[in-house]
Amino acid sequence: MSRTSIFTWIVMILSSLVLLFILAPLAGMFIHTGGAEFLETIKDKEVHQSVWLTLWVSFAATLIFSIAAVPFAWLLARKDFPVKNFVQGIIDLPIVLPHTAAGIALLGFISRDGFLGKTASIFGLNLVNHPSGIALAMAFVSVPFLINAARDGFAAVPERLEKAALNLGASQTKVFFTISLPLAWRSIITGFVMMFARGMSEFGAVVIIAYHPMIAPVLIYERFSSYGLNYARPASVFFILVALLFLVGLRLLSSKRKEKYVNPDAQID
Amino acid sequence: MLRLININRRLGNFTLSEVNLEVADGEYYVLLGRSGSGKTQLLELIAGLEHPDSGKIFLDNIDITQQKIQDRKVGIVFQDYAIFPHMTVYGNIAYPLRARKEDNKNIDEQVKRAAEAMNITHILTRSTEKLSGGELQRVALARTLIKSPRLLLLDEPLSSLDTSLKDDLKRLLRNLNKAGQTIIHVTHDYCDAISLAKRVGVIHNGKIIQEGSVEDVFSNPSNRFVARYAGIRNFFKVNILHENGFLIGVTEHDVRFKLNGVNPASDNLLLIKNDTITVNDKLSEDMKINSIKGLVTEIIPSQYGLEVTVDAGDLFYVNILASDAIKYKLVEHKEVWVNFPSDAIVIINGN
Repeated sequence: MSRTSIFTWIVMILSSLVLLFILAPLAGMFIHTGGAEFLETIKDKEVHQSVWLTLWVSFAATLIFSIAAVPFAWLLARKDFPVKNFVQGIIDLPIVLPHTAAGIALLGFISRDGFLGKTASIFGLNLVNHPSGIALAMAFVSVPFLINAARDGFAAVPERLEKAALNLGASQTKVFFTISLPLAWRSIITGFVMMFARGMSEFGAVVIIAYHPMIAPVLIYERFSSYGLNYARPASVFFILVALLFLVGLRLLSSKRKEKYVNPDAQID
Repeated sequence: MLRLININRRLGNFTLSEVNLEVADGEYYVLLGRSGSGKTQLLELIAGLEHPDSGKIFLDNIDITQQKIQDRKVGIVFQDYAIFPHMTVYGNIAYPLRARKEDNKNIDEQVKRAAEAMNITHILTRSTEKLSGGELQRVALARTLIKSPRLLLLDEPLSSLDTSLKDDLKRLLRNLNKAGQTIIHVTHDYCDAISLAKRVGVIHNGKIIQEGSVEDVFSNPSNRFVARYAGIRNFFKVNILHENGFLIGVTEHDVRFKLNGVNPASDNLLLIKNDTITVNDKLSEDMKINSIKGLVTEIIPSQYGLEVTVDAGDLFYVNILASDAIKYKLVEHKEVWVNFPSDAIVIINGN
């Protein structure tokens, strides 16, 4: 009993240190941000535009990429094919790449000399220094989070339920939309939130593709490098608060889904 | 109606091999086998959830071997029911009709009719999360039957129900079959087989090792495995000899059996049918009766009264009434005679 107790105490102390490590800098930033400075920042049109741009571009990138990423995740969860492990490795590649390197790679692809850039320019669109380019940079580094979470979600749906639905006469498409997708919904939402959050916080890849229009991480960096810590802080606090608001909202949505869809009895297989 | 011809299917280190099966219209066929014997795999092949490596499956003389799951007129009820947890009972039962894009009025009428037949009208609007095993089973049956399958496949439908629910469901299944529904039911339970089947097949290690009417299969088991299923416990490996003009079987412990009228098989495994073997305190003088002396080693309560173990060199297991134990004053270490007629002996394939 006493050994367990000491062990528990040690674990709690170590856990507290990790929590403190995460919370202390954030708390310090909040404490050192004066009310007047913060109010001024809230009224700053440039900050508004930048935060709004970050939010909607990241959300749009997540939404658009999920159209392909979610069925891709289903494929990874349900089908076996010869190069599957290799494909899984490719998906995780953006997570391990230095993000500036990812930005450079992407720039080659979407600049006017690159394949995508050339194609876009036919329609009069210049992806560099444009929200669509920012969206691509955000998606490049964050889409693995959505694919991996959705894949795990689909894998957790008992395959037997899909087979039962097929046996009841439903087409493969109908089974996907009426069985697989609703039952994996919670994991997909979690992946969606993670991709959205990761895209929103991206700096390295985005700054290579588009310094302007300025997303919030670039604006914060710009204020810091041009004016110093005190100017960067209120914008950071404002961005963090808005981002938190969005994330909490999406998390609430996913937990409600969980209550509605997950039935432990259905996991028997 | 359903015909499987030389079905082979390898799954990891398990193989279904050379499975041939015919099930006629309106038949109730029970496939009996232990877990891991391949019975569920065979159902999944018939339903189209898996495809055989070789062989053909015909339904109403149409080759359905490569037909898609959703195009087969076969309904399967899984052992775990596979009820969709995110839908209500109504949503589950209506699912096949919605898949066929039938109109809502028609769907409503059919769902209500199916629910009534299964006696689950009162739970139609409920979520499936808190339903009992019996209710889930009925929902699964209603959902499968609403698509009017030519063939209904049931995977261990009674295995997780308590006794009273089992009886209800058996009655329901019998009535379904009486109404013309062809059923293939897989189970590990001998009692399910004898209470429901018109014909039974015994599957072992991916092969159907015996089939026929319930009476045929269990009265004349073709090997030890089937005999075990019939509850027979008295098996003896014997050498068959001619002695003084009589045919006798001798075990390695020198227990001797009179085999008058018994047909010896290639492998000499001797079994004695349960209901013919008795134990008492006298030697039988009847030449047609085997009377073997031994010592009572154990008396334990059994389903039918008492089970007496007698050591006569080899062990005999005899079911007796409790009143007989009193009558013959049976106690452990008492000397007794195990009696059984020679024609109660069957010699079967020992492998």
